[in-house]
This record gives sequence, structure tokens and C-alpha cells, in this order.
Amino acid sequence: MRDALRYEWMRIRTVRSTYWLTGAVLAIAALTGFLVALAVRASGEDASADEIAELGPWIGTQFAAAGSPYFVAYLLAIIGILGWGHEYRHGMIRATLTAVPSRSTVFWAKQLVVGGWVALSVAAAYTISVLGAWLVLRGSSFPLPMATAFDGVGRATVYTVLLTWLGMAATSLLRNQTASMVLLFIWPLVVENVVKLVVAVVPGTEGIRPLTRFLPFDAGGRINSDTRLMPGESVFGQPLTWIGGVIVFGGVTLVLVLVALVLFRRRDA
Amino acid sequence: MAVIEARGLGKTYRGKAAVSDLSFEVHPGSVTGFLGPNGAGKSTTMRLMLGLDRGAGSTTFDGVPFVALDRPMQHVGSLLEAKPFHPTRKARNHLRMLAAAHGIPTTRVDEILEQLGLESVSRKKPRTFSLGMGQRLGLAAALLGDPHTLILDEPANGLDPQGIQWIRELLKGFAASGRSVFVSSHLLSEMALMADQLVVIGRGRMIASGPVGDFVKSSRRNSVTVRSPQATELAAALAGDGVEVDAQEPGVLSVSGMEAAAIGDLAFDRGIRLHELATRVATLEEAFLEATGSSQEYEAVASRPEPSGQPTSEPGAP
Repeated sequence: MRDALRYEWMRIRTVRSTYWLTGAVLAIAALTGFLVALAVRASGEDASADEIAELGPWIGTQFAAAGSPYFVAYLLAIIGILGWGHEYRHGMIRATLTAVPSRSTVFWAKQLVVGGWVALSVAAAYTISVLGAWLVLRGSSFPLPMATAFDGVGRATVYTVLLTWLGMAATSLLRNQTASMVLLFIWPLVVENVVKLVVAVVPGTEGIRPLTRFLPFDAGGRINSDTRLMPGESVFGQPLTWIGGVIVFGGVTLVLVLVALVLFRRRDA
Repeated sequence: MAVIEARGLGKTYRGKAAVSDLSFEVHPGSVTGFLGPNGAGKSTTMRLMLGLDRGAGSTTFDGVPFVALDRPMQHVGSLLEAKPFHPTRKARNHLRMLAAAHGIPTTRVDEILEQLGLESVSRKKPRTFSLGMGQRLGLAAALLGDPHTLILDEPANGLDPQGIQWIRELLKGFAASGRSVFVSSHLLSEMALMADQLVVIGRGRMIASGPVGDFVKSSRRNSVTVRSPQATELAAALAGDGVEVDAQEPGVLSVSGMEAAAIGDLAFDRGIRLHELATRVATLEEAFLEATGSSQEYEAVASRPEPSGQPTSEPGAP
């Protein structure tokens, strides 16, 4: 396993897309923190204390904590998609498997190294964003409350790593990075929204309407947007709690990863 | 020094057999050429040997399957693709990545880049490489771990004549050091110069295996050209079991199934004058085309090339 990890570590570090994507994520995070803080500083008198308390996780997740799609997570997931995509697009998989013939080892090494890179990147992006905002708001009448600023970093990291692993599993299954990228955007933006729309407008579907909260990306979104589990709240209540989101989105990811692993072991390279 | 033993290799695609029950051995100290028409199953066989394709049978390297080898590139080097690398990962980084999985130091990476003439492009992106440069990088990867066995699929593809000569010397030298080389190529003239042993397949099945000389010798294209003013008389004297006599032009016979010396002796015994007695040895290409003639998967509608043997003159008039 150690050799496979070394191989994968060198692989991810010697391809330009890793740096472009990570750099873009850090730049977006820094810019978001800076600009949002400037806006808050300019119109801070309108902000309530509660809103200011939520500001740290909102800025840290580029407003995914407020319910927006987590754009930087999608950018980082592309690193994972390319991790498998390059193997098949450029015929690298045979070179990889002649260097490390154990397919399970190759598979898990890739998931771990890419997952680790993505986890560090998203945590760094969150931190940069929050620190940028803190610097701008420092000394203003609404300084960023640092006690709650990093409340969302753990959940943002979990969500991004799960999304990345989901994208990697899809790419390993499809063996096509373009199709996988399209799927990663089409599924949450189109498929799930169409399902929710159909259920919302078609008469007689009221009974299944609450089930749409279990749609994988809808549930995944709750990992960031649910603030905290309140006393007496059900994990799978309506709306889903972040723990419920982790279980549903993580469960779907786990199933896809395991199917991808089984097929990777069985199929021709 | 590894003996490669392939036993009962088989692979089916959608019910059609690409490789069927293929067994052979490759011994250290030799270059074993792997021949077959397009679509014969050569690349599939090589992938099966390395555990890259799933199929029947087994291949061992000194008794150990490839997937069970510890740090396999230090045992078996392989080149299976024309350009098996990411187009924007620098050549040196590509090798460093492979080296990382085997604990191979960077000094060895630089050494192999120099050995393969890639030093000047080591920090360039391979997307700018010609096919020949790509092949050199692929070979560098195969040789990186200083393995005892090489498995190469069409390594001379895209190489210029100097490159082809270089690879011939490289592989012959590799085998001369007691190591094993299993190499496929469409360049039959090159294979004739390089290989000691052959494995010939057609439609995924074994056609022949053994020393190159035996394979060529088995060809019906081997013949003796006899020029005589008494050709008709000689033809009648030669006629017999296993001997084919073909009158090519007046006074010239092409005889197969009998050695030049025997023909000379017979002519002497019968008092027949000979003006020329020349052995015509079949080329590897002729022997190959003859052996695989009915095994072509994809065949263009065109006439076969005329025999172009290399006559060896044996003046033998009695």
C-alpha cells in the first residue's frame, strides 16, 4: 500500500490540473471572503447579531451553509474525476497496473490520496475565506465572531470529500471523464430538480413529496446548510438534518465506490 | 533470470475467441519474437500475461504470476502502448512517478533518460514528442527497474532506421546478459535479425514456436535453382517422393524437397551437366506469410507479394 500511495502522491503532484483547480478554489475562497466582508462592512448597520454570528460559516463555505450550491466542492471534485479520467483517456491505467498490479491497492490509494488533497484544500479555502473576511471586518462595528467562524469547516470538508469520491467512483465506472463531469453537474442541477418539480406539480404525488429530501444531492446539501442538530430533532426529519445528509449522501457514495471497486477488479484494464 | 511460462491463455470477446489455449515458454538469454497477423491476438496475449486483461490460463515469471511480484517493474519491464503517458506530465516526472512505486532513486531516472537519449527532453511535455520519442520514453519506463524480463509490443513502431538498429542492439545485448525478451513486431526483416526464438499465432491460436532457423527451414519456399542444358532430363531424374520440380524457364528448374548437394550428386551420377546450382533460402517473411496465410483476421483484396528470396549461389557443376 505504501508504494501505491507514493505512486499516487507523485501522480497528483505532477499534473497541472491539480494546481489549476486547487489554485482556482483558493482564489475564489479568498475573493469571496474579501468581497463579502467589504459588503458587510459597507452595510453592516443593517445586519442583525444572529446574521453576523452565521457569517463565518457562510463565508467559509461560499454560502453553501446558506443553501447555495457549494461551487468550490465541485471544482475540487474535478481533481478526483481527472484522477481516474486520465488513467483511461491517456491509456495510463496499464502503466499504473504494471507498476502496482494490485487493483484494490491502486483503487484505495487513489481514493485516499485524492481525498486527502481535497480535504486539505477545502479546509484551506475555508480558512482563507474566513481569515480574509476577519481582516476586512477587524476594527469595524461588526467584527467577525471567530468563536463560530469555523463551525462549518468540518462539514464542508466531509461534503467535499464525499462529492469527490462520488465523482471518482462515477468516472471509474464510466471510464470517461467528460461524461462523469456532465453527470456530476446534471444530476443535482437537472435530474433532482426535475424530480422535485414533477412531484410538486403532479396531482396525487403529495404522499411521496416528503421523500424528495432523500434525493442524494438534496440530502448532501443539508450537510452544509443544516446548522446543528437541535434537541429532540429526528436525524431523518423534515428537513433532513446534516447527520441525515451525511448518511444518505455518504451511503450513496459508498455504494457507488464499492460497485466501482468490484468492476475495477473484474474488468479488463 | 526468469523463465516465462504461459499456460492455456484464453480470452473471449462477446463470444468470439481472441486467444485460445495458448501455451509457450520464453527462456533467459534469448530474444523471443511474437508474430501474428493483425488481429491475431498478440496484444491481448501480452495483456493477459501481465494480468491486465481477465481471461483463462496463467503466466508465471520464474513460477510467480505478475500480479504477485513484489515491485514488479524490478522483475518485468513492459511496453504495451504507443504513448503510455499523460501528455502534459514531463518525461522525467513520468519516470519519477513510476520510480516512486518501486523505491527507485531519482539518479536512476536520470541515468535511464541519458541511456535512452532523452536527456535533452526530460523536462518537456510528451505531447510534443514524435511517435519514436514516445516509444523511447515507453522503453525508458520498461527499463527503469533494471528488470530481468522485457515484454514489448511493437517497440520499433515509429522509430527511424537508426532507432530500429539501436533497439535491436539494445534487446540483443539485454538477452546476451542472460535476461529474457518477449517482443512483438510487424517488421519481419528486423525480427529475423533480432530474434532467436519465435512464437507465431494466427486467430489467437498457436501456429508455430521454436528457433527462428527451424521455422524458416520448414517453409516450402526453400528451393534450389538449377540451370542445365539437360534440364528436361534432370527433371525426370529428380521426380520422386517429396520432390517438386518447377520449370521456371527453358533450361532452369526450381527444385524443392531436395538439398543442393543431393541434386549435384544425382546429376553427376546421371552424367547431366550443370551450369548453376543455387540454394534459395526462404525469408522469415515468406515463411510467416505461408504459415499464417489462412489465419488472417483482416485481409485486403490484393495479390500476395512475389517471393523475394535471397539466393545463395553454390556453383556446383560436376
